[in-house]
Amino acid sequence: MTSDPETPEEDRALAAEYALRLLSKDEEAAFEARMLDDRHLEELVAETVNQFAPLADEIAEETPSRAVKAALLADLFGEAPAATSLWERVGLWRAASFAATAAAAVMAVMLITQSAPGPAPQLPAAERGALFVSEIAAGDDSLRVLAVYDADTGSVQVNRTAGSAAPDRALELWAIAGDNPPVSLGVLPVGQKGQLVLPENLRGDVSSLVLAISDEPLGGSPTGAPTGAVLAVGQVTDI
Amino acid sequence: MTSNSDIEHMISRVALGDRSAFSDLYDATSAKLLGVALRVLKNRASAEDVLQETFMKVWRYADRYSSNGMSPMTWLITIARNTAIDRLRATKNDSDVADVMDTMPASGPTPEQSAVASSDARQIMGCMEQLEADKRDAVRGAYLDGLSYADLAARFDVPLNTMRTWLRRSLISLRECMAQ
Repeated sequence: MTSDPETPEEDRALAAEYALRLLSKDEEAAFEARMLDDRHLEELVAETVNQFAPLADEIAEETPSRAVKAALLADLFGEAPAATSLWERVGLWRAASFAATAAAAVMAVMLITQSAPGPAPQLPAAERGALFVSEIAAGDDSLRVLAVYDADTGSVQVNRTAGSAAPDRALELWAIAGDNPPVSLGVLPVGQKGQLVLPENLRGDVSSLVLAISDEPLGGSPTGAPTGAVLAVGQVTDI
Repeated sequence: MTSNSDIEHMISRVALGDRSAFSDLYDATSAKLLGVALRVLKNRASAEDVLQETFMKVWRYADRYSSNGMSPMTWLITIARNTAIDRLRATKNDSDVADVMDTMPASGPTPEQSAVASSDARQIMGCMEQLEADKRDAVRGAYLDGLSYADLAARFDVPLNTMRTWLRRSLISLRECMAQ
């Protein structure tokens, strides 16, 4: 194609200028309009791009901050396709916790046992420095919270991007490991952003956790288990 | 080091909606693409925004990759570069242009840059060496820093049409040199 005598020199020059982004906005728009009807112009652009691509070899790599990937994945995949089954899972533990006082009593005991002080857990080496993200969202998007867990510090950064607590109510964040009862991470701050701490006994297998947000009285659930409606859920993803 | 065919494979998986391949592709290429965006924008926060936008485009358009005749890294770099230039031109005012000019690197790659350059890069750099110094700077400024004719004309303090004539001649010389 390079040797195609039919290609007007002007088109070849314009294609190169377009590929290099030398043209003004209007000139770019005019060239793009022509390109729609002329595949040959597109090929000329690709030729220039390929010709200059090796120049990018000299550009030094720059490691992006980890928050970029977290935000990217949250934007693209925030609404997990498994949302229905997550809601079902949450429904199951809700049923278990509210249907029978006996079950609630058992759960209270378990929560006390779980929070008893023990030897400081050793973080698995593979997870040291790992980041995990969860977009905790209502089915209708009326509430969305992005949670990012940093295994280095055990902290969970939360950013509420949609919705808020009802008047005189609080939003409480819970973590659920498998079929175990939910464990409170605390009440979400009134402001949009804040930081909570993941209980140490949940730090072993973070990527299998489900996070959920329930509607609670100010100050949080008085019982240690969710007492109000579950408003939003999200799966934790290893990034 | 991830090979071109690894990256090609990841892109083809991403085209099928494979999120784990998307995550791998990000891990393998994001540092290079951030470098490309940073070179254009000279601002880390903006460059990271552009990196995120770049990967959103990659997720959306991965199925178009196979037909475009570019190597996978070239395709990714082109998306990052164009996204960064769009951002630069959407936001810049006169003072930003002055900043860009101030930070434009001097003629030619540094020895360190030459050392990491591939053989392909050495070919085009060899051809660039045959251009006069200021023409070479203008071509580099266009490709690496995303400068338009208007930016370059201001940088070199020549009329826009003069810059256009310079650049067109330089591009023809380069093409002839590369074809040898």
